[in-house]
Amino acid sequence: MHTDLEHEHTLARALRELPHDSARPYGWDEFRRRSQPRATHLAGGRALAATVVVAVAASALIIRVGGFVRHPHAAPGTVHHGVATLSHSAASPGSGEESYAERYLASLPREPALVDVGTRAAVATLEDDIAQLDDLVSAARTGSTPPARLQALLDERTQLVSSLVQVRYAETLADASR
Amino acid sequence: MARLVDITVPDVVRVRACAGDEGARQQIYAAVAPATFTLIRRLIPQRSAAEDVFQDTMMILFERLVEFRQEAPLGAWLRRIAISRSLMHLRSPWRRVRLALDGHEAAELPAGAVPVTAPPLPEAIDVERALASLAPTARAVLWMYEVEGYSHAEIAREFGRSISFSKSQLARAHLKLRAWFEPQGHRPTCTLT
Repeated sequence: MHTDLEHEHTLARALRELPHDSARPYGWDEFRRRSQPRATHLAGGRALAATVVVAVAASALIIRVGGFVRHPHAAPGTVHHGVATLSHSAASPGSGEESYAERYLASLPREPALVDVGTRAAVATLEDDIAQLDDLVSAARTGSTPPARLQALLDERTQLVSSLVQVRYAETLADASR
Repeated sequence: MARLVDITVPDVVRVRACAGDEGARQQIYAAVAPATFTLIRRLIPQRSAAEDVFQDTMMILFERLVEFRQEAPLGAWLRRIAISRSLMHLRSPWRRVRLALDGHEAAELPAGAVPVTAPPLPEAIDVERALASLAPTARAVLWMYEVEGYSHAEIAREFGRSISFSKSQLARAHLKLRAWFEPQGHRPTCTLT
């Protein structure tokens, strides 16, 4: 019977002795051929996808910073940005969400601010978070974790995947619109 | 074929390649591509996915060649890129979704698949199969530790995890592979398809 140490040495030796020369990659010409479309695609796609994503980020920033500031030119009952704002008398007392939405629309600039940055950081962060959650879920499934905790992890994962899908989808739209 | 970590390239060739010389780049490609691809396929058995990672790795090599400071052989520098890209692929949620849809999460090697290489010795076939039976993370940790010579600290850094993560993954891989190296009566059946 092998001891643990013998087993590890045997395994390490067997792995190192595996043949190296059978998994051949494609040649230089094929590498060059594959490089061309990918480089073009990456350059163009990144630029447009970044524009879309940053437009979303800029909107979120505006909501965060100025969402509760009434637009100086948006008097109640007037039309602003194609959306009629309700006068206080017309708004029902319980329509808080609608009122909030109107304030948000009134606060938007006439032209969205577009800044060109990459999406890689956002995607990488989301992917890392999802991978980390996967590990937690795996550990929870094998351990004695309460079902509620497992479900919470799965819900969180669903949200992260959904966010990632939105970013990826924005990239796809940007690609298609070019 | 030399191990990737040991491969060097003459300085004059590297300088010419940095300047955009096509012939020099082709020369570097010929020198490092086989070992690079072999390493990536050890970590990613699916050939199509491995080719994607290989393509990315080689493109990064030529893009960043001017940053290479010759503190180690070119192959060692390239190995870090290849492993980093491979691990990034393994951590991708899209890959996990695809595997889940295909039902390959538990058994990484699909039916009808051939091993990474076509080794002539039955013992090597067994090792290939055993390696392919591991989960992707455990396989990567095992290969990096036992063959590439990474320490647990280095593996942990590459994965962005703790040292205990690396140790537990390695222990898990050893436990699973133990069956393949037990006496014949205890070994799982293995047939080539």
